[in-house]
Amino acid sequence: MRESYTAAVERNVVLTADFASEPYEAAWADEAIFFIRVLDPKPRGKLRFTAEISPDGMRWCPEGTVCELSEGETLGFLRLKHFGGWLRIRRLDRIKATPKVIVYLNLK
Amino acid sequence: MISNERCFDKFEPLPRIIYHADFDTGYNGFTETIGNYEGTLDEIIPEMADFRPPQLSNRPMWDTGTAGSLDGTYALKLATRPRKGSVAVCTKRLTWTKLCRIRMETWFGYKSEASELRLSETDVRGFGFLLDLQDDRLRMLPRVRYLNARNGEKIGKWQVKVDKPAKRDIGTRGETVSINHYADEGYADIPNGQHEMCGNELASKMNWHYLAVTFNLETMRFETVRCNDIVMDAGMLAPFEIPIMPNLRGLLNTIFFVETDVDKRAFLYFDSILYSTEG
Repeated sequence: MRESYTAAVERNVVLTADFASEPYEAAWADEAIFFIRVLDPKPRGKLRFTAEISPDGMRWCPEGTVCELSEGETLGFLRLKHFGGWLRIRRLDRIKATPKVIVYLNLK
Repeated sequence: MISNERCFDKFEPLPRIIYHADFDTGYNGFTETIGNYEGTLDEIIPEMADFRPPQLSNRPMWDTGTAGSLDGTYALKLATRPRKGSVAVCTKRLTWTKLCRIRMETWFGYKSEASELRLSETDVRGFGFLLDLQDDRLRMLPRVRYLNARNGEKIGKWQVKVDKPAKRDIGTRGETVSINHYADEGYADIPNGQHEMCGNELASKMNWHYLAVTFNLETMRFETVRCNDIVMDAGMLAPFEIPIMPNLRGLLNTIFFVETDVDKRAFLYFDSILYSTEG
């Protein structure tokens, strides 16, 4: 049976302006999806996130995939392939909103 | 999948093997733990809201690349946040089938994140194993911990938690209570339980150790705690008890945790875990 796993890499955390999710090891997986669920309060403006990859879990570079959540949207995703051993997401937008979010990482 | 016909040679189980988790085959049902809540996640005791999801790691190091596991590539990894006092916890949830002697064995290792060019051997505060269990008599959360270091001082001793944490009401429906039994307090030292682990010269090197914890579900006491060649008798230390709770009869969770003592991630790795019982 194919291995798969969903990790709640962030849960009920405040989305600060410099937010980056905790590093997660994914070397065993071929594909990944980050789901970003906005809890509360609902932000005014568009949230943007990018995926980041790393050789060692300490130094990071943008992977290139971007997720945008328009005002009123509460669920978005980043779909990834060929990412090496480590994954995390980083917030890119500069709107003045700090909602709480849940970030899931689904690997298989 | 990597199969290893000799996998049981490195364990000394009781007669009935309930599970063997070799993390080259996946997560094997280990999941993140969090505190209780009723209507909203905001109700979780803050210290129990963020116990971090376990990971499958091939143990990559920035200087030497992949270290792998004891007999394969992948290990289960617990990682705290880089914040002093952060705790990471994973659980496998099952139930007991007989009140008898049980044994948890694992080949494990621990390190802090190799983000500094120094040994960092006092970064990890401690790590340990606990059961969350209930029978018709009582509920108990018996745990052993290796207290590695505190405030930059190496300590290196095994302990049992004996003081009962305070019960805290959460939510508004009165269905659930919670206790923060992961706090860094309430432990008693196991006699002759002080010994050094192999830290091995560099922050990026980690050596596997063997741990076997034997607990008796009939007497509700630990019996022996063995780490490599060190065998300790923990039978005289009574783990704290709490009153039985509704809908938990038969509960037996097997739980591992790691704590960081500095603003740096603490890692606890498991090559494999074997849980066995006497009957």
